[in-house]
Amino acid sequence: MTAITTSSPTASRVPALKAIWRQTGFAPILFVVLLAINIFINPARFAPGAWGTLIGLAAPLVGAAIASAPAILGGRGGIDISVGPIMGFVNAIVVLVLIQKLGLSSPFIVVGVAVAIGAAIGALNGFLATILRIQPIVATLGTYLLLVGTTLTILPAPTGTVPVWLKSLGGPLSILPLGAVFLIWIGIRRLPYYDHLMAVGSDDRAAYTAGIPVTLVRFLSYVITGVFAGVAGLMMTALIGSADPSIGPTYTLIAISAVALGGVSLAGGRGGLLGAAIGAIDIFLLQSALTYFNFSTFVLQIAYGAILVIAIVLTALQDRWLGRMRGVN
Amino acid sequence: MADAPAALFVRGLSLKAGAAPFDLDIRRGEIVGLAGLDGHGQDAFIETLAGLRPPVAGHVGVGKDGERIIRSFRRAVQSGIAYLPRDRRATGIFPSMSILDNFAIATVGRDRKLGLISAAERRKRYDYYRDRLSIVAPEPGRMITTLSGGNQQKVLLARALAHKPDVLLLNDPTRGVDIATRRVLYSVFRELAAEGMALVILSTEIEEALVLCDRILVFREQELAASLADAERSSERIISTMFGRAA
Amino acid sequence: MARLTSDQARVFGALIVAVALHLTGTTLIEGYSSEFSMRAMLVLGSLLAIASIGQTLVVIVGGIDLSIPFVIGFANVVTAQLYGGGMNFALVCLVVVGLACLIGALNGLISSSLKLHPLIVTLGIGTIVQGSVLLWTGGFPSGSAPESITEFVSIGGSVGFLPVPWLVPCFVALAAIVTVALARTAYGRRLFALGSNPRAAPLALIHPVAMWTATFAISAAFAAVTGILLLGFTGSAYGEVGQPYLFQTIAAVVIGGTALVGGRGSYLGTVAGALVLTEINTLLIGIGLQPSLVQAVLGVVIVVLVSFYGRDAHVRTTI
Repeated sequence: MTAITTSSPTASRVPALKAIWRQTGFAPILFVVLLAINIFINPARFAPGAWGTLIGLAAPLVGAAIASAPAILGGRGGIDISVGPIMGFVNAIVVLVLIQKLGLSSPFIVVGVAVAIGAAIGALNGFLATILRIQPIVATLGTYLLLVGTTLTILPAPTGTVPVWLKSLGGPLSILPLGAVFLIWIGIRRLPYYDHLMAVGSDDRAAYTAGIPVTLVRFLSYVITGVFAGVAGLMMTALIGSADPSIGPTYTLIAISAVALGGVSLAGGRGGLLGAAIGAIDIFLLQSALTYFNFSTFVLQIAYGAILVIAIVLTALQDRWLGRMRGVN
Repeated sequence: MADAPAALFVRGLSLKAGAAPFDLDIRRGEIVGLAGLDGHGQDAFIETLAGLRPPVAGHVGVGKDGERIIRSFRRAVQSGIAYLPRDRRATGIFPSMSILDNFAIATVGRDRKLGLISAAERRKRYDYYRDRLSIVAPEPGRMITTLSGGNQQKVLLARALAHKPDVLLLNDPTRGVDIATRRVLYSVFRELAAEGMALVILSTEIEEALVLCDRILVFREQELAASLADAERSSERIISTMFGRAA
Repeated sequence: MARLTSDQARVFGALIVAVALHLTGTTLIEGYSSEFSMRAMLVLGSLLAIASIGQTLVVIVGGIDLSIPFVIGFANVVTAQLYGGGMNFALVCLVVVGLACLIGALNGLISSSLKLHPLIVTLGIGTIVQGSVLLWTGGFPSGSAPESITEFVSIGGSVGFLPVPWLVPCFVALAAIVTVALARTAYGRRLFALGSNPRAAPLALIHPVAMWTATFAISAAFAAVTGILLLGFTGSAYGEVGQPYLFQTIAAVVIGGTALVGGRGSYLGTVAGALVLTEINTLLIGIGLQPSLVQAVLGVVIVVLVSFYGRDAHVRTTI
C-alpha cells in the first residue's frame, strides 16, 4: 500500500512523508524525542566516537526486531516467537562448539554456521507453520521450547570467550552486521518476492486466486526470519563476548513489542523492517535514558509497557483519523 | 391495503450530502421492492432503515406516528425491525456453530429458564420455523455449513423472524439460492405480508421485484427517483428510471 | 454430528494421550502411580487447568492473553503483602481479584475498541503490572499465606475419605460450571458466535467490545485465583511464579483442540490438555531427564500432538 503511494507519479514529497508516517506510526517521533533527551543528558555516550559501542549495545535488540518482522508480514497469524531462542542457540553453538571445542574461529566459518543454523531452524518453523499448517504461535512455541531446552542442556552455565574480530563487531565495527542485514532486505525488496509477501499478508485469498504461491511465500518468510535471527545471535555474541544460555530467549517478547511499536501490523501485510528497527531503537533509547537517571529496572519496565500501549493506541487512533479524512475527501 | 396503518415512517431522509430528501410511509401488509443500479442508494437506504447507517439528514421512525426514531441497529430490533443481511458468508452465518445455534443466537434470551438455555425450548422454537419455511435439515445439531445455500438462507430468515418483527428488511434474500427455495421464500413473504407484516426487499432482479412487490422504489444517484405502484410497475419503467431516462 | 464429533474427538484424543502417558509412566517408573505422585499430579493439573480457564475463553472469542503470568505474579505478591500487613484474608482476595478484573477489562477494552492485536496489548499491560508490583515491593515481596489456603492446596491434604486436598473437588465443580456456562448460557453461545464470525456478530445483537471486556476480565480473575492458590502452594510470594503459565496455558488450550482462530473449542479439552502437560512433565522428570531436556521434549510433543488434530485449513479451502 505504501509502496504504491510513494512510487506513484503524482506523489510529491508530502505524501511520501505521510506514507512513512502511516507505515511507522509514532516510532520516528518517539525516536527523535528520545534521542534528543539522551544526547542532552549524556553527550559523551552519544558522541560520534562512541557510536560503535552504542550501536553494538543496541544491535541485538534491533536485530531481533528486524528478524521478527518477515514472518509477521506474511499475515494470517504469522509470527515467530523462537527468534530469541535461535539467538541463544547460535550463541551457544558458535562459542562452545565452534570456537572452544573445534577451534574454528575464522569469520567465514562462524558467520556461515550462524546463518546456516538460522536458515535451518527457520525452514523447520516454516515447514511446521505453512506445510503442516500448525498455528504459527504454537509451532514456534514448540521450536522455542526445543531450542531453549537444547541450549541449556549443552550449555548449563555461561562460559567461553570470543575472538577479537567477533568482539569488534560488538564495538567499533558494530555497524557491519546490521548493515549487512539491511542490504539483504533492500535486495529482497527489489524482488517480486517482496510484493508477493505483502500481497499474501494483506489478503491471502486474493493472492492465492491471483496465482501467488502462498505457501511458498510464507515458508520463505520464516527462512528469512531464521537467517536474520542467526545474524542477531552473532550480534548478541559479539556484545556479551561469551556463551550465555539465559540471555537469548529474553529477546523474543521485547522484539515483538518493538515490531508493533514500529508500526508493523500483527495482522500482516503492513509495515517494514525499518519501522521494526526504529521501534527497537526507541526501546533501547528509553532504557538508556531511564538507566541514566538511575531509575530502577522496575520503573524501566513500567515505562516500557506504558510506551508500548500508548504508542499502539495512538497509532490506531491516527489510523482512524486518517481514515475519516479520506472518507470526507 | 392502502388504508392499512403505516409501520415505518421515513421523514426528510437524505442518503448523501446534497441528495434530495424524501418522505415515505411503508404500511403494514405491504411488500416494497428496492431497485437501482449497484451502489445508487438502495443499499444505503435499507441499511439506514435497519439503523446500521446514520442518515445524512432526516430520520426513520416507527410506532403509532413514527415517534420512535431509529438511531442504532439495536434500537431498530427493539422497535420491531428485523434485517436479513446480503452476504450470507461474511455477515450471516456462524460457520463453526450448529443450525440450532445459528437460528437462536440473536434471540438467545428467549430460551432461558432459570438463567440457563433450555434445549427443549430452543428446539420447539426452531421446529416451528423449520416447518413454516420447510427447512430441509436432517438434524438441527449439525453444523450450519452442512446445509445447502438455500437452506442456510432459510435458517437466517428464521433467525430474523424469531424477533417477531413488524417490519422485515431483506437485503437481496434470493442471491445464490436455487429455484425451488426461491418459490418457498416467495410464498413465505406473501404469507407474512398477509399476516400484516411490512416487508422491504432489495432485489437485484427486476423480475423478482415485479412478481413479489406491491410497490417498487427505484433509486438513482443516492436519490429516490421513482415510486412505482400497481400499473406503473413495468420492467421498462424500472430500467429507464434506473438509467435516468425520462419515461 | 460431523463437526460435533470431530470436536469431541479432539477432547477424547487428548484424554487418551493423557491415559497412555500415565500407563507408560506406570510401567517405566516405579511409584509413578503411587498415592503421592497421583495427588501431586492432580494438584498441579488442577492449578494449570484453573489458570487456563481464561485462556480458553479468550481463545474461543478469537484473542490470546499473554498477561496471565503477570497477573498470577501480581495476585501472588499482592495477596501475601496485604495479608502480611494484617488485612482480613477474604477482603484481600476480593481486592486482588477485583483489581485483576480491572486489568483484564482494560486488556479487552483496548484490544477490541481499537482493533489492536491482543497479543501486544496484553503483553504491554502485563509488563506494566509486573513493573508496578516490583516497584511496590522493591523486588523483595514479603508477607505470607494464611494456613487455610495452604491446606486447601496441600498435596497431603484430604477431603473426608477422599485422599486429595479441597482444591481438587472444588476444581471439578468449577470445571462443570465453566462447561455449562459455555454450552447453556447466553454469554457462552455469544462467545462462540463472536469468535466464529466477528462481522456477523453485531447483526445477531452481540456487542463485541462488551464481550471482549468481560472475557478478558474473567481471564484475569482466574489468573488471580491461580496466583492466590500458588501462594498457598509455595508458602511465600514470588513475582515470577506465573512465568511457566505463559506458554503452558496456550499449550493446554491448543492440545485440548481449541482453535486459535476462534469460534471452536471446549473447556473439557483444555482440562485434558492440562492433564497431558502434567503427565508429560512428571513422566520426563521421572525417567531422569534434566529440566532443560524436559523442556526440549515438551516442545516436540506439543508440535506432534497439535499436528495430529490442530491443523489449519489450506488457503485454497477458505476461498
